[in-house]
Amino acid sequence: MISHNVLDQLKAIVGEKNVFADTISVSSYSYDATMLSGTAMATVFPVTTEQTVHLVKYLDSVNIPLVPRGAGTNLSGGTIPMENSVVVNFSRMTKILEIDTENFVAVVEPGLVNFDFQVELEKYGFYYPPDPASYKATTLGGNLGECSGGPRCFKYGVTRDYVLGLEVVLPDGQIIQTGGRNFRSEPGFDLTRILVGSEGTLGFITKIFLRILPKPAAKKTMLAIYNEVEDASQTVADIVAAGIVPTTLEMMDNILINTAEDATGAGLPRDAGALLIIEIDGHEVDMDAQVEIIAEICKKARVREFKIARTVAEVDQLWLARRVVIGSVARRRPSYSLQDVTVPRSMFPSAVKEIVKVRKDYNLDIGILAHAGDGNFHPLVLFDQRNKDEVERVHAVEKHICTMALALGGTVSGEHGIGLLKKHFIEMEFSATAMESFKKIKSAFDPNHRFNPGKIM
Amino acid sequence: MNKAMAQIKGLIGEGHVVDSVAEMAKFLRGNGKPLAVVFPGSTAEVSGLVKLANELNLKIAVGGQVVESKGLDGGLALVLSRMNKILEIDHANLVATVEPGILHAAFVTKMEEEGLNFPPEPFAVETGSVGGCFAIGDTDSKAFQYMPTRTYLLGYEMVLPTGEVLDIGNKCIKNVSGYDLIHFAVGSRGTLGIFTKLLIKLLPPPEVKYAVLADFASIHKASIAFTTLIKRNIHPTRLNLINATLAKNTFPATEGNLVMVDLEGFKASTELLAEEISSVFKLAGAKNIRIVTNADEYVKIWRAWLSLRGELNTQDVERILDINVGPMKMPPALKALEEITGDLAGYPGIVLEGLLGHIRMLLPTAAEKNQLAGKVNALAMSFGGNVSGVLGSRLVCEAYNDAEMWQGITSLINQIRKQFDPKGILAPGASL
Repeated sequence: MISHNVLDQLKAIVGEKNVFADTISVSSYSYDATMLSGTAMATVFPVTTEQTVHLVKYLDSVNIPLVPRGAGTNLSGGTIPMENSVVVNFSRMTKILEIDTENFVAVVEPGLVNFDFQVELEKYGFYYPPDPASYKATTLGGNLGECSGGPRCFKYGVTRDYVLGLEVVLPDGQIIQTGGRNFRSEPGFDLTRILVGSEGTLGFITKIFLRILPKPAAKKTMLAIYNEVEDASQTVADIVAAGIVPTTLEMMDNILINTAEDATGAGLPRDAGALLIIEIDGHEVDMDAQVEIIAEICKKARVREFKIARTVAEVDQLWLARRVVIGSVARRRPSYSLQDVTVPRSMFPSAVKEIVKVRKDYNLDIGILAHAGDGNFHPLVLFDQRNKDEVERVHAVEKHICTMALALGGTVSGEHGIGLLKKHFIEMEFSATAMESFKKIKSAFDPNHRFNPGKIM
Repeated sequence: MNKAMAQIKGLIGEGHVVDSVAEMAKFLRGNGKPLAVVFPGSTAEVSGLVKLANELNLKIAVGGQVVESKGLDGGLALVLSRMNKILEIDHANLVATVEPGILHAAFVTKMEEEGLNFPPEPFAVETGSVGGCFAIGDTDSKAFQYMPTRTYLLGYEMVLPTGEVLDIGNKCIKNVSGYDLIHFAVGSRGTLGIFTKLLIKLLPPPEVKYAVLADFASIHKASIAFTTLIKRNIHPTRLNLINATLAKNTFPATEGNLVMVDLEGFKASTELLAEEISSVFKLAGAKNIRIVTNADEYVKIWRAWLSLRGELNTQDVERILDINVGPMKMPPALKALEEITGDLAGYPGIVLEGLLGHIRMLLPTAAEKNQLAGKVNALAMSFGGNVSGVLGSRLVCEAYNDAEMWQGITSLINQIRKQFDPKGILAPGASL
């Protein structure tokens, strides 16, 4: 319960219409895209940096922790509030402050939705490469918090590679600016990089300087369908070995082809073992030669069907299954657990094999979805939350998959972040010295553990 | 003192310690007077030295070949030239693991032989090490296409300022687990720890590499031609200019200022772009436009660029002032700059990196740096940029009259340094 006094103060800072403490509102912001939840005392929506500073200073004075939030689409539990905390929701700071296409920079507020930003950039023939699957709802502040990825990462990198600078409110209420409008603006420690992916545990981002790029002149989208999942993973390895860097190499296995087909009726073969969506971009005159090499590689890997999209509508058609796939599993089972392990590319086939084996050993439906080019897996474990025995097996599988990824020289998170969900795996990944170093970073920024306490570590 | 020397020699062997002033000078930059120059051969030895330094309260500074001796009186200069091995080249994952002391330029050559590409430019061709490359964390003239140096580090082993060994990162190009200590360390100039191994991301090599050279009588016309290319969505790998004064030494045949374009990519588009760029330069009034497709000539041209870059970075560093403005803001920024400097072509040195909006000035004397910096920064800020580096950050805060923000950043950085290095042992000469 929140005291009237605190509530009045919050209203005085951000205005009456930007504070919510009733049960319905508080529960509306109690969950994210994981199955976790937690109930805060109140949710407040600052609309300026100054309000954020006031909130931070005031809540510090009354010893109340703050949990930042955007659209709550994250898959790590990074925005799950704890009891007696206040949720600071940035989703009303949505302004695009500047789009400077001449100098490849945009300045935005953290609550801006990734998709809305892309739509605006499109008008100038520009785009912002990081494209998490939830881009229609997800906020840029949230993307920075988790350091989100997306299908285009293989060629273009993750969120951190597109952040030039930040305005940040620190846990003591100080505003700092890190980086700036160009690559060279951050001397010394790269504060921008430590803040990106820190899930709001070190500072709250109130303004973002992003690198934007002109849209590539040409793009080719291909679909390759295989009888065996192993052949798809061989294709991935061979494309990389040929020196081609596609923007996208997405893989779906038989289970997911079927759930996607249930949802879309797009005409995918239900008996296929796996499919790959391959996309390349660049200069018009370079496209055909690369498509030819890729077609050749697919053929060598016993591809059963290889399609090249000829029109924009055909491109959308090829992407349709991939876009709906995560939601589509709901038709099969009521719940799913989504992992985010990543392994070195060369280990991709071994990881596929292991997941196929786990599926049998634990007697669970596991769909394999992967950003195959960068070894980033999203195994979807399907189950029913009400079935206790099944839930236990799911947790065992989660642990098994994370352990496998680490044993193959990988990581437990390629693009979703750690949050609460993977906190108990993080000590498997990092040495005691590394964990100690993380703590030093946290102590330097937030000695009183005021910002999003309990996340990451 | 003798006891300390005995302990140091005991740790790494007498043959790997140099303590005569004359001999030490070969490995030092600046006027500091360290106790000894030491050449550790392993992570364990580096860790041992750091622990000893903590015990005895000695400062430590590190270099690949040469060490900055500022603030190092009575301390240890660690030269990592013995730790220069390539430990692994992993073609399937496009990564390499190396020791920090390997020469940057040698590493690039080795990778080329292996059919791999490590894009960052060496800080100094003769002396720059791979460890130094990441400790400095530069952004070079290829960064528009290839991104800054930071993006090539996937992990490292590092001896922390208290002597523990931190091992972090993996061969995955996507990794967001835990705090991003990996990239945070890039540019930390040896304050966060001493790299003892680096896990480096590599790229497949481009199909072809061409260069386009052109002589421009006017820097302004060249800079306008750069913006024409950008407007036409032509983004070469490098789009550089060196002014007449510098060109005279580096490329004596140049008439006026020299524009140097690098094109790395697929053959079909590279051929087209080379032609298109030549036409744009021709229209802009350039002379002696040549497209270089011969590999040996290409290598020679860029080696000369890298030597010049290295000289400016090391020998002339006290006379260097770097500013960045938006790439399309270069022409008006140069006009305004000329009002301060006089004729740019005849100035001691002007280097442009067109795609990055980077203007590098070689000042007539070091004394002018402080005098000019404020003025030049104000100019750069009016075009959306600022003087680069720590100096620039301070000047921007000053310009905004924002003492609080400057204090906020410095106190945060000091907090971090204190957390990792409570006794203040490492890199006494580095200001962040």
